[in-house]
Amino acid sequence: MSGHAHVDGKLPHEPEKATLEGRNKVLGFWLFLGGETVLFGTLFSAFLALRHQVGDGNPTANELFELPTVALATFILLTSSLTSVFAIQSMHTNKVKSMLWWLVITVIFGLAFLGLEIYEFNNYVHEGHKFSTSAFSSSFYTLVGFHGAHVLFGVLWISILIAQVLKKGLNVVTAPKIYVAGMYWHFIDVVWVFIFTVVYLMGKVG
Amino acid sequence: MAGTQHSAAEENKRHKHEGPKKHIIAFIFSILLTIIAFAMVAAGEINTTFIYVMLVVMALIQVFVQMGFWMHMKDRGHVFPIVGILGGVFVVFTIVIMAEYWAWW
Repeated sequence: MSGHAHVDGKLPHEPEKATLEGRNKVLGFWLFLGGETVLFGTLFSAFLALRHQVGDGNPTANELFELPTVALATFILLTSSLTSVFAIQSMHTNKVKSMLWWLVITVIFGLAFLGLEIYEFNNYVHEGHKFSTSAFSSSFYTLVGFHGAHVLFGVLWISILIAQVLKKGLNVVTAPKIYVAGMYWHFIDVVWVFIFTVVYLMGKVG
Repeated sequence: MAGTQHSAAEENKRHKHEGPKKHIIAFIFSILLTIIAFAMVAAGEINTTFIYVMLVVMALIQVFVQMGFWMHMKDRGHVFPIVGILGGVFVVFTIVIMAEYWAWW
């Protein structure tokens, strides 16, 4: 199936859409993202409903959250979204090496974000904000932790894709995978926009 | 086959203009919106309702920019993706409104 796309060793423009399989992958992934939207929506609605249910003596959002850490995490994730755009653009101009480097940088930013989140959660636990402390803490950890799990999954996914491209090269079979992983990474970034707005900033306001 | 190659080459030419520029502009725009959102909360002392509304508006603008440019939703042939995501968003709004204004009070 991929054979005819390599007649002169050159990939077609937008190789992720060169085959029907690739186009179906992209469309199917959009439907998956619709489902993911619902998943995060339910977690957001639970958090919004429970965020003031702190209980006596337990830390509130305003006491816990430290804006500099959250701001740093936000900039890291935003930048990683841009680097994944650069990876897709390199893919579109058939520059495999630069695509791989941009993907590596994206993974590194993802890992930095995860490290920051682990450090943050660790701090919260030491301040008495455990998973079972209050309805607020449970819904907080479920929502933000689920997002963190998505980042972890993305990091693993993109790492495996890098290995696959190194082994099999960039062709009309591997290109849709890279493209779809890029979409996933943007989606994670979009979810984080709502998390830092709804959870952290609104939590700080009160 | 020659025809396919030709059209592929033509397409490459047509897409040449689509450089990283608009993506960087989208990035700078996102960063600016983020800085404004954080700065507003850090400054404090402003009307809470006003901050709430502004935060949501800026988050929505940022999401539209990122989905439009980075996820290529503004490009042609993205009707089904838009329908798919809007279906999700519709369910989400229903759930959020239900949890916030109906089940809880």
